[in-house]
Amino acid sequence: MASKILRSSLKLGQNLSKPSKPLSGSYLPKRWQSAVTYEQAMLNIPETQVSTINNGLRVASEDTGSPTCTVGLWIDAGSRYETEKTNGVAHFLEHMIFKGTDKRSQKDLELYIENKGAHLNAYTSREQTAYYAKGFTNDLENIVEVLADIIKNSKLGETEIDNERGVILREMQEVEMNLQEVVFDFLHATAYQGTPLGRTILGPTENINSIKRQDLIDYITTHYKPPRMVLAGAGGVNHADLKSLAQKHFGNISNDIQGAVPVVEPCRFTGSEMRVRDDDMPLAHIAIAVESCGWANSDNIALMIANTLLGSWDRSHGGGQNLSSILAQKCVQSGLAHSFQSFNTSYTDTGLWGMYFVCDKLSIEDFVFNLQKEWMRLCTSVTEFEVERAKNLLRTHLMLMLDGSTPVCEDIGRQILCYGRRIPPSELDARIAAINAQTVRDVCTKYIYDKCPAVAAVGPVEQLPDYGRLRSSMYWLRL
Amino acid sequence: MPIPWLPKPKYASLSQQRGETKVTVLENGLTVATEDKFGQFCTVGVVIDSGSRYEVDFPSGITHFLEKLAYSSTEDIPDKDKFMQILEELSGISDCQGSRDTLIYGLSADPKGLSKLVQLLSAVTLRPLITDEEIFIARRTIEFELESLDMAPDPQPILLEMIHRAAYFDNTLGLPKTCPTENINKINKQTIYEYMKLCHTPDRMVIAGVGINHDELVKEARKHFMSKPIWDDVKTSRRLDKGLAQYTGGEEKVFKDMSNVSLGPTPMPELLHFVIGLESCSHKDKDFIAFCVLNTLMGGGGSFSAGGPGKGMYSRLYTRVLNRQHFMYNATAYNHSYNDSGLFCIHASAPPSYGKEMVAVIVKELSILQNGISEDELQRAKTQLQSMLLMNLESRPVIFEDLGRQMLVSEERRGPDYYFNEIGAIRNEDIIRVAKRMLATPVTIASLGDVNKIPSINDIRTGLSSRDGRLPGRFRLFQ
Repeated sequence: MASKILRSSLKLGQNLSKPSKPLSGSYLPKRWQSAVTYEQAMLNIPETQVSTINNGLRVASEDTGSPTCTVGLWIDAGSRYETEKTNGVAHFLEHMIFKGTDKRSQKDLELYIENKGAHLNAYTSREQTAYYAKGFTNDLENIVEVLADIIKNSKLGETEIDNERGVILREMQEVEMNLQEVVFDFLHATAYQGTPLGRTILGPTENINSIKRQDLIDYITTHYKPPRMVLAGAGGVNHADLKSLAQKHFGNISNDIQGAVPVVEPCRFTGSEMRVRDDDMPLAHIAIAVESCGWANSDNIALMIANTLLGSWDRSHGGGQNLSSILAQKCVQSGLAHSFQSFNTSYTDTGLWGMYFVCDKLSIEDFVFNLQKEWMRLCTSVTEFEVERAKNLLRTHLMLMLDGSTPVCEDIGRQILCYGRRIPPSELDARIAAINAQTVRDVCTKYIYDKCPAVAAVGPVEQLPDYGRLRSSMYWLRL
Repeated sequence: MPIPWLPKPKYASLSQQRGETKVTVLENGLTVATEDKFGQFCTVGVVIDSGSRYEVDFPSGITHFLEKLAYSSTEDIPDKDKFMQILEELSGISDCQGSRDTLIYGLSADPKGLSKLVQLLSAVTLRPLITDEEIFIARRTIEFELESLDMAPDPQPILLEMIHRAAYFDNTLGLPKTCPTENINKINKQTIYEYMKLCHTPDRMVIAGVGINHDELVKEARKHFMSKPIWDDVKTSRRLDKGLAQYTGGEEKVFKDMSNVSLGPTPMPELLHFVIGLESCSHKDKDFIAFCVLNTLMGGGGSFSAGGPGKGMYSRLYTRVLNRQHFMYNATAYNHSYNDSGLFCIHASAPPSYGKEMVAVIVKELSILQNGISEDELQRAKTQLQSMLLMNLESRPVIFEDLGRQMLVSEERRGPDYYFNEIGAIRNEDIIRVAKRMLATPVTIASLGDVNKIPSINDIRTGLSSRDGRLPGRFRLFQ
């Protein structure tokens, strides 16, 4: 009913577009054993067009002709480029950029966006920053102009900076209430100790309290450079229009760099652990990961398949004895965990591949045993059947993610930054199809077998085996 | 790098997109409706006029069970795992969502497998086996879910149940959607089949598809949906409730210790949750759009929530409540609409010691709506509602759900253009009219937490009917 479209929380929509339920397993029919033919794929999506304007800024868009669109700026800059002293600047800047420009006050900016029925949003990750807006296609020019205005002319007033400190500290509190975020921050802190990737995105409290206007300006002038930025668009976005708007509004950003050109320093991975024991918490929250590879490494596809194979599960999903993930089956049978989720987080030259799980304090050891057993199986004896299933699931997952202009726009922006091009779905299919069980075993052996894991645990974690035991279970002589 | 030998894919062009809706009604009363849409996957499913409101003559909770039992073993494919394999082969995922008045089975998959998809849908909707093992697992899953609901720091789903129960006392929409604990072991295969026999008849079903060919879907539906359902021989003495929803108004207070709801080491503030509801209208009513505008106009959200401009920062509950009253944690407006009635609610939360003040501010905001609103506010609410409408329709599962639900209750589909124009036509008089209409209905309140400071329902009633919305008695908010 219309009442449901007119409502912003759409449960079904969210669930249908991401495979949340774990799926199941037996024998693979012959016809599945992929005989892929590489004929020209017919795609029911418009092509992504990419061009570069005179100062090096790339413009990339996909035009679906819809009455709404998403346009945004994806920038190759994030907390990884900060030092210990400046940690938190990238995120602070993300906040300050909505606080008014030379020609618009904060209120003018907010009202302008709200009155147009548009949305303006931003996020900062360890390696990327994005500012994007969603609105009516008819307002495309206005949206691009606002994006350019906030990037180029933000006032970054001292009073506003002081006010924002409180907001960011409050945000930090919110983050700390989300245990998954806490555990992942700890995981980064231990895995990348002593390197920029080990720091949090928000930065420590003392930095939030001491960051100055000049720090923000320095960050912009060093990092917000046209060749490191992509203006991405999806929905009803005409590429030629977007390109000329980019030229008009972003064409005058200078390419001059004061001082040294920033380079990405390699971030060393250290197998290590961090435990925060708190027996008053009802459940233990634990992440264990090994070092995986960077974005563009071709091993990534096999790791993603391995990841899908282990899958994710939550006890409210239920599921019988027949789930495709053996770990999930074990959880159903013997209540090993409340939920688990395998992950593969990639950065330019490194990544974290592993498992996050939430369980009762008395089942930690059992869960870890089963987890490491599964990991060993991946390295040594994962079957063709399981891999085939995981490939299908992965393909489905990647395909279903691209639903709506915002996810598509984000995909475009990220891919152009990471790969310098947008990978056609047919190519991704071909890459996934090319992998078999042997490749998965080889790649998993390369990254998991006899490697030092990084461990982060919060809660009643007394039962988590000590690091030496965890490490020695990263190779098994027999399964 | 691109794969050099992979042929360049052929992309779709804008002119191929028509956005047409086609509808066919089959001989047995089943409606088939489709709409085109770009994308590498389609969403197809069955939308049934079935839900907790029809469980009058049954133990409540059947819909909840149906949700959990969906996509299990069927007469056609007794092995659930085999079913999953077929779906995976089609790169598909499944979802089932029940609400008070609609049950939706949806599949998102590669449109090439349409015939198979319809066959699977027919099997799961008409011929589920519902084995003892499946019932057992469903019971356990529901138990877990109820446990998690009770533990979750955000009691939103519990509040929704409470306000509906109070607003439609002991009838239709007031029946619980989540299975009550005492019914978990009462519901069995026989009750479920009896329910399906009465409720899941072809004339109460719609097959909807987005991103697929209409004629093919009709052909497949005719092939797979004309057969007898598995419960054909089941005898029942129960009757299906066809009564209209009776809005009664009323009150539900639940005392719950919420002083320590945090699941982690970071403490969360203790909150008192309060919902106030008034009867709005059915989505068929001429005032429906005006109520939707009113909902956007009130807007609101959390006092601390993510998102930049566009989230409704200038809606009334932000500008007049959250930004002015330091104690308010949350204030959000919702409009739930159904076939024959609707409920306009405001949810609010604050520390328990501010119970009285919180209620007073919300009552005041509702009451002063009848004095009219400014032109700016109205225009902004209208534009935001229009953009929310179109943006939500970017997503395939949302179009699917909207199409299915609309076809269930009317002969023709009202497209986004219709609603866009209707929203555009709303004027200040309309808002005043619907506000008065709503304020004339008996008030409903629900409160959860340390409820001692919540004023009596009589005081709230008096407050709502006064012109300045002030609660009676010695209490004054701004003394």
